[in-house]
Amino acid sequence: MKKSLFLLLVVFGCELPPRQNTATTAATAVNQTKTDPGEEEYVLVTTAVTMPMYVNHDQAAFKRWGEKMGVHVSILGPAEWDIPAQINTIEEVLGTRPTGLLINGTNPAIASVIDKAVNAGIPTVVYDSDIPQSKRHAFLGTDWYQIGQMQGEEMVRLTGGKGKIAYMGILGLTNMEAGFQGLLDVLKKHPGIEVVGKYDDKANVEEAARITSDLLAAHPDLAGLCGFDSNSGPGMALAVKEAGKAGKVKITTVDWEPEHLQLVRDGVIHMLAGQKRELFTWYGAQMLYDMVHQTNRLSANDARAHITNIPTTVNTGLLRITKQNVDQFIHSTPSP
Amino acid sequence: MQKILQDRVSTLALTILVVGLVAALVFPETFPTFGNFSQVLLNLSIDTVVAVGMMVLLVAGVFDLSVGSVVAFSGGLVAYLLYFHQLPVPLALLAGMAGAVLIGAINGYLIAYQDINPMIQTLAMMGIVRGGALMVSGAGIQNLPYWFNAISQSKLLGIQMPVWYMLLTVAVFSFLMQKTVFFRRYYYIGSNEKAATLSGIRVQRMKMIAFILSATLAGMAGILLASRLGAALATSGRGLELRVITAVILGGASLSGGHGKIPGALLGAVFMGIVSNIMIIARVSGYWQEIILGLILISVVWVDKALQKRTW
Repeated sequence: MKKSLFLLLVVFGCELPPRQNTATTAATAVNQTKTDPGEEEYVLVTTAVTMPMYVNHDQAAFKRWGEKMGVHVSILGPAEWDIPAQINTIEEVLGTRPTGLLINGTNPAIASVIDKAVNAGIPTVVYDSDIPQSKRHAFLGTDWYQIGQMQGEEMVRLTGGKGKIAYMGILGLTNMEAGFQGLLDVLKKHPGIEVVGKYDDKANVEEAARITSDLLAAHPDLAGLCGFDSNSGPGMALAVKEAGKAGKVKITTVDWEPEHLQLVRDGVIHMLAGQKRELFTWYGAQMLYDMVHQTNRLSANDARAHITNIPTTVNTGLLRITKQNVDQFIHSTPSP
Repeated sequence: MQKILQDRVSTLALTILVVGLVAALVFPETFPTFGNFSQVLLNLSIDTVVAVGMMVLLVAGVFDLSVGSVVAFSGGLVAYLLYFHQLPVPLALLAGMAGAVLIGAINGYLIAYQDINPMIQTLAMMGIVRGGALMVSGAGIQNLPYWFNAISQSKLLGIQMPVWYMLLTVAVFSFLMQKTVFFRRYYYIGSNEKAATLSGIRVQRMKMIAFILSATLAGMAGILLASRLGAALATSGRGLELRVITAVILGGASLSGGHGKIPGALLGAVFMGIVSNIMIIARVSGYWQEIILGLILISVVWVDKALQKRTW
């Protein structure tokens, strides 16, 4: 009797996942019950929540937006680069019913949890890298392939289309791999350029410097280096300076933290491909707010019509920072 | 009473109960719900499966730093075989598990038979296997077959399958470690390796088996994680080894060996999971979460030591 009961429980208690998890362009209905801004809470979930670039740009702008709009904002996520932990955080946040969710699109693997948020009726915007296979209501950020292309084009210009080039970043990250591909697609059009290696600097200045000094020893005629994470540039610049080749080995990289800008001013780094990160979270949060408050209603009832009243995709564009315009960035502070 | 307070599993269970009750009073709408509890259990299930293997190792007086990389590698290998070679799901699973067993066997052989320090060996293996994970997973593999995803995404009684696999693993290893002579030998080895050798226990073989078991469980965890995410990520499991060792130490294991019970590994993970969940519900910033978890670890171990020294 007990065995039969257990078997019944197993058979009827078992539930398989839905067959296909495809994204649709039609928006899922959104709960629009909260209208008093003072009660609203917008939550940003990222991974590597303490990364200085995220703190100084994304999170600072998000907090400023919250203050300006008079709503609560919270920033959550694991301290390390840990995608499963970011997913876990989103899953746990869903139970607390935030007004809106702003999610850093760190990896396509977060698609299913984004769908869960959307299906739960929570306005959900993805920033930085898109997760197009998810049901996210909107995306805003930069195209990492373009970051690679921009660096490739600059490197061709700086080297005259000749010489040995190496590049580094965090291997295995979807956005960086897209950036690597953008770089390679430009470089392969120039037969005078030889790509001598792709390296994992583990987002670590010391590792980037070690790789660079090894590269300079193996290839004394190295013409250029391209970096794809925040620490690639400072690491490459350190090793190039120590080898006495500052200015001779051309360097392009990403991000525009104060140390990057100083290295551009010093002539060690030749170009920075900068993202407008403040815009990701400021306008991302604003989009969530506009969804909730139906700022721009497009039908009698947008939720029932299964449409969103915000842009679906926004490319915030790139900044090209060189010695010619770097002073404008060194003296600038984000607008209050 | 004395016995209860001097047993880490009991004190930890009591602490979890108290913390849970306080959280339920402070956050009555969001914390004590079926949805939240099942989510917390799901989130800690992968770590707990690995923690069970780590508990066996720590009882034997050794540890394995390569488990996080094995999690990434096994999930990546299975995904690679499924996506690029269209292998049937059972065959790909077997290959993934075989890869993990092989890593455990290499670790175990070099540590037990060639006397290489476990920290150096598993640290080196951590890098090697992470490289392997990067090679097979690249920028990540998505769109895995439905039946592979169903392994972790299915539900039983409303709870997602990894929770059930975790409970099964804990139950099986609890039985083995408490009731079988073979596994109880790990306590003798961890308490006094020389005495264990003199009493006829084949210490080297036992250690090698422990490393194979630990890697096998890490391999299983990697497959469950890839199936849950519907994707394999080369960056999966980074830092997992330290989380797992923390949970196991919280659960009563000692770095010097000879101590620890399998339910302790589960409770250690549950404790960390609940604390982390409460911090998310309370919107504690990411800066503070690491600090608070570190402080809790020190406090729990310190209070436990104090209770054990006290004469009743």
